[in-house]
Amino acid sequence: MLRFISRVWENFKEYFILTFLLILSFISLSLNQNPAIKKVRAIAFGSFAASTAIFSDIVNIAKVKSENERLRKINAELMLQVNKLREYGVVNSTLKNLINLKDTVKYPLIPALTVSKSFTIAQGTITLNAGSENGVKAGMPVINDRGLVGIIYATSNNFSIARTLKNFELKLVVKDERSRVDGILKWNGEDLVIVNVPKTYDIEPGDRIVCSELSSIVSLPVPVGVVAELKDVQTGIFNSVKINPYVDFSRIENVFIIGVLESKMKNDLELNFFNK
Amino acid sequence: MRVLYILAIIIFFPLLVVQSTVIPLIAIKGVIPDLMLILLVYFTLRSGQIHGTILGFIYGFLLDIITGNIFGSAMIAKTISGFVAGYFYNDNKKDIYFKSIVFSLIVLLSATIDSFIFSFFSSVELEKSIILRFFEQGMFPGIYTAVVSLILVMFHPRRNPF
Repeated sequence: MLRFISRVWENFKEYFILTFLLILSFISLSLNQNPAIKKVRAIAFGSFAASTAIFSDIVNIAKVKSENERLRKINAELMLQVNKLREYGVVNSTLKNLINLKDTVKYPLIPALTVSKSFTIAQGTITLNAGSENGVKAGMPVINDRGLVGIIYATSNNFSIARTLKNFELKLVVKDERSRVDGILKWNGEDLVIVNVPKTYDIEPGDRIVCSELSSIVSLPVPVGVVAELKDVQTGIFNSVKINPYVDFSRIENVFIIGVLESKMKNDLELNFFNK
Repeated sequence: MRVLYILAIIIFFPLLVVQSTVIPLIAIKGVIPDLMLILLVYFTLRSGQIHGTILGFIYGFLLDIITGNIFGSAMIAKTISGFVAGYFYNDNKKDIYFKSIVFSLIVLLSATIDSFIFSFFSSVELEKSIILRFFEQGMFPGIYTAVVSLILVMFHPRRNPF
């Protein structure tokens, strides 16, 4: 019997060992949740991790250079993305304001984008990407969410040129929103001023200035600016009132053209009165 | 023989450190070579099937304890791998094995079996077909391990180091 067992063992010992070890392994599988096994594993894992950490640090130092280079590249890419997002944010905010404006104004508004700007000291003009095919005509006021930008001066099929308030050629009848006093606004090459205002008129710094209904160009109460200071107070009988415009002309991008023209009949009538 | 057991276990630890720190850096799509298995095949071809089976069990046990695998999974995989590699043991040919591509082919077979069995206990993607699983989790790591084992073939000393 012993000899038989010995012979079987000699012939098949590899398989017996394999079977035995596999049984042990399968028993181990069922011991995964055993607290004692967990504890042993925690200790073994902790000890090994401590020694690995030292080696890992050395490996990491070697990695740092290439990692640095990679991070720098990512940083540059992210910087470009952030800048782009910032730009989108500014445009988004402007467009939102314009949408709000469009919702509150009852006049027909023609949206347009500034395609070029010309800001010489005396001749401020902007070119817009809306023209006669969009219904734009000379004389229509141009506004943005802040206030009056200028007046359409010339149109082509798809584009139009507007004179901004900072243009010598543009003179506009405006009024003090608080005291209802009218005056003529013009650009003197340095400031926007309301000229020839009698000293007796009630105009004070901080007053809002809007377009007057007397204007033959813009008779809608579109905000223009705020009174900054009164000039020539000591001399003469007239004041000159300096106005700070609401619109930042250097940052104009998205605008609306108000699709109304002053009545030709009214103009003609005024002209007739004048003629008489 | 006893010296070989001790030596195999002594080499195991520094190699495991390398396996867990350096080797992940050369991973290809998450597949890494198994240095422990190359070591196991090496010692199995040196000392025989029983030695390889027992050494596979010991390596699996140590791996399960240290690396946080499911306890027993690496034990089963490495035991069977050692057993399979042991079939190629031949006392007269062992020096030829280490100087030719045969060693890498044995590693390929053992590593494929090892990875495939191990994936059964460690993978949660049960819905995958067995063939796809064999290729993804068996063949690919096996091939990568076999390729890395070529380094051992290339730099193996002419004279027996042990």
